[in-house]
Amino acid sequence: MDRKTPRKFATTPGTRDVLPPESTRLLDVQGRIRDRFALFGFREVLTPALEYAEVIEEHGLRDVSYKLFDQDNQMLLLRPEMTTPIARVISQRLAGSPPPHKLSYVLPAYRRASVGRGQSAELYQAGVEVVGSASPTEDAATIALLVDVLQSLGLKAPSDFAVVLGQSTFYAGYLRHVVPDAATAVTGALAAKDLVAVDDLAEELPAEAAAGVRGIPRIVGPAADKSLIEEAGRFALGSEAREALENLREILRHLEAHGALGAVILDLGLSGRHEYYTGAVYEAYAAGLGFTVANGGRYDNLLRCFGKELPATGFAIYLERLLSVLPEEGPQPLLVLVGGDVGGIEAAARLRRLGVPVLHLSEDLPPEAAVEYARSVEAAWISYPTTGGVKLAAADPAREFASMSFESVARTVLP
Amino acid sequence: MSVLRVAVPKGAIFVDALAALESAGLPAGVLRENGRRLVYRAEGTEFIVSRPSDVPVFVEYGAADIGIVGKDVLDEQRPNVVELRDLGTGRCRMILAAPEGGAEDVRRAIRHAEVVRVATKFPDTARRYFERMGRQAEIIELHGSIELAPLVGLAECIIDLTATGTTLRENDLVVLDEISTSTARLISNRGSYRLRHSEVIALADAMQRRGERFG
Repeated sequence: MDRKTPRKFATTPGTRDVLPPESTRLLDVQGRIRDRFALFGFREVLTPALEYAEVIEEHGLRDVSYKLFDQDNQMLLLRPEMTTPIARVISQRLAGSPPPHKLSYVLPAYRRASVGRGQSAELYQAGVEVVGSASPTEDAATIALLVDVLQSLGLKAPSDFAVVLGQSTFYAGYLRHVVPDAATAVTGALAAKDLVAVDDLAEELPAEAAAGVRGIPRIVGPAADKSLIEEAGRFALGSEAREALENLREILRHLEAHGALGAVILDLGLSGRHEYYTGAVYEAYAAGLGFTVANGGRYDNLLRCFGKELPATGFAIYLERLLSVLPEEGPQPLLVLVGGDVGGIEAAARLRRLGVPVLHLSEDLPPEAAVEYARSVEAAWISYPTTGGVKLAAADPAREFASMSFESVARTVLP
Repeated sequence: MSVLRVAVPKGAIFVDALAALESAGLPAGVLRENGRRLVYRAEGTEFIVSRPSDVPVFVEYGAADIGIVGKDVLDEQRPNVVELRDLGTGRCRMILAAPEGGAEDVRRAIRHAEVVRVATKFPDTARRYFERMGRQAEIIELHGSIELAPLVGLAECIIDLTATGTTLRENDLVVLDEISTSTARLISNRGSYRLRHSEVIALADAMQRRGERFG
């Protein structure tokens, strides 16, 4: 039997060290997402990992947060998500500047994970929030940005991924208008994704009401298919549901203008965290993965907790899940330059000026050892300095060295 | 479109599950060949056979698109999956039972909010049952024959599934309370439900019609 690993050498349950090549990929994806966010005018913020416990009002989120106490015995928690900290930042620090506030973040959040349920305790996230606008154009713009980000990382819609879009007040509004007494039970069953229970509840309702109770969650399909919205129109009873549907129509009209409609699937039964979202709600799914890659929506009530009447919308991407569905990419170019004393330093400097990433080993290793080392750091090339250039070889046992100038090394090594 | 992967449970509801899948036009007959294989392929569909309690795990992670599993397992594990249809088959009851001789003691203990010791394969279901009643229980999780526990004094009562009640009778156990009833359900992961909606919902509808016909 294995000897027990001493506890101080293990990471805590649900957390892990991220090593190359995974860390390289994670940082690369973070960088590319940052670039897309910046291109759309979002400005990135950093907030503390620790927040006062009362900042997070949602029970579910508070329950899964790690808690600790400060020197005044105030309860703190490690942020379980980034939307609420950003709402706090805006209400406290940006109250004087004109809305809408368009902020982004690329930071980890922390949740107590149940081991074996595919959850980590430390979740790397990237997301945006638009605070201070109630316009459906902002909902559409953030969805389009999410589509843009996923496409820019090499995913294709709809074969690799889709953003599933719903409107949380449409179903709830219909229920409140048609069967107010049953509304809570039905939305609860739907939030639990239990369509059997929804059907069972519908059985007990008058036929006319039951048609919508059953029918609305069944409106699922490509957003470009106009007949879905037509069908939803049959159930647009009561002012709440009518306004919700009009809001959804506006979002779809703008998504079409963004050229993002093809990546969107409508699901009028999608409710997300149903007591949190107040309008558009969406989740991104990738083929072969049962979990959401990203989720978002409109949350017009959150800022009220901080004393501001500011409607808001935004999304968060789960980066580990995203990484698991991204196409494989080869390692970044890297060349191991071995020894050569002062000449080696000069050669490394020349190569770096040409843009070649160089790992310079000061010790004079023989080629076999140099290949082994290069492979351990995922470098595709090894080289030794010569006069006016280097001897270059691929990092494999059957290597053959070729002497060449610094310029031809750059042409060979760089993509 | 990639192949549709279906998780099928071994054991009591296996045969009914095959019938339901076949009624929806899926080539589940390959599973009858009585082998020990874990994966079967036929006509663009892939079937995986697993323990019933593992079916929701395969489905939730997206390793299978859809699966068939008892409501009892869903109640216990509460996986984040879409529950599509009640197939109406594999009906059984989740019950609280105790040896005939000790039944009155258990009733009294529960009435007086004393701690009772209960053996079960469904610890979360058991915990929620006692919490809902405002009663206390010490829950012992077992994986095999639950009926054994009260016979040898490991527990005073059990919470377990029963279809016909035969095993209970054979071991002189009497039912004290019925906690819930369970039937087989068709489930799908949240991604497949949306990304392959027309395909998944067509299967669900075909299975439902069968359920209705056999009432």
